[in-house]
Amino acid sequence: MAQVEQAVIPEDELASELAPAPFADVVWLFVRIGLTSFGGGLSAWLYREVVGARRWMKDEDFLGALTMSQVLPGANVINLSIYVGHRLHGGVGAAAALAALLLPPMVVVIFIAMLFQHVGNVPWLHNFLEGIAAAAMGMTIAMGLRSGRRALANGRWSFGVIAAVFVAIGVLRWPLVPVVLVLTAIALVFARKKRTIE
Amino acid sequence: MNESRITLYLQLIGVFAPLSLLSFGGGQSIIADIHKQSVDVFHWVTQAQFVDLFAISRAAPGPGALFTTLIGWHVGGWMGALVASLSLFVPSSILAYAVARMWNRHGDKPWFSQIQRALIPLACGLILAGAYAVLSSSSGGISIWVIALVAAALFMKFDKINPLPTLFVAGVVQALVRAWL
Repeated sequence: MAQVEQAVIPEDELASELAPAPFADVVWLFVRIGLTSFGGGLSAWLYREVVGARRWMKDEDFLGALTMSQVLPGANVINLSIYVGHRLHGGVGAAAALAALLLPPMVVVIFIAMLFQHVGNVPWLHNFLEGIAAAAMGMTIAMGLRSGRRALANGRWSFGVIAAVFVAIGVLRWPLVPVVLVLTAIALVFARKKRTIE
Repeated sequence: MNESRITLYLQLIGVFAPLSLLSFGGGQSIIADIHKQSVDVFHWVTQAQFVDLFAISRAAPGPGALFTTLIGWHVGGWMGALVASLSLFVPSSILAYAVARMWNRHGDKPWFSQIQRALIPLACGLILAGAYAVLSSSSGGISIWVIALVAAALFMKFDKINPLPTLFVAGVVQALVRAWL
């Protein structure tokens, strides 16, 4: 999200007219993004291509969909791809975008895992991968802190919800379903009033 | 297809399909629960395998949610990979599709932004809990925490850097630390 905010393109560079988006081009774009996006940042890439370079969608349309994809359950970029696909080519477009984004990297990731299994139980390789996983978790922490900053902008009650979720799920390992349901109900009460901007 | 295979597929669906609709804030938020189910409850993978598969899914291209594909593949081959993936992707995708259709009609209503405001702190708590669960269950020692926190600071500060070099350096550092200490 923050990456996207920085990548906003000046208005005068945006054509008022949208360009046509041929079906094959849409599918190919999603294949390319799925296969080259190491370590995340997929939403920002979609934005640059779909809104910036190709002018298939309007800025506000895309950013609205980005918000929606973050609120809904499911991986953000998957929800976003469904919206973009649907916008450009209806239901078939949504299904095609999803398949194009997921199927090629699915096959690739399994082949990498097979290769890893073949190489066997090499300690340094395990340690190397563990280091990668730790840095990827750093990326996750950074994302969590960013969303926390956004949450606190809506009121200090957010901190209580964040802490309650963290302790219940992360530390106490309570089951996800009831915790999320109860805390969502509580959060909905607090979120009733929009906080005036100070 | 024998009975144990069918049981396995049903178990995969039973674990991942409900999580699909609970993964607020992206796939990160359900990692703690995936860990519990696949290591502690069903013993699909060991702790070390869990960490390895997680790292592979991060090092490979594509959405991080492909971690689920690997768990399915590990325990049930290509078919297991497909079943686990569809279980995780389909329910949330159907919901996203329905919302995408409604979006233009209701996006400006007050109740919509209320739901949005309520879910942001939940997403945040779940994301951080997921990171904590993975890090605290790692066998990599204190250096794992140092790497994660340094990387977090780096990614916070530099929005647009390519994460790949950082991930690679982190892997090398951890391998060297474990070799010498």
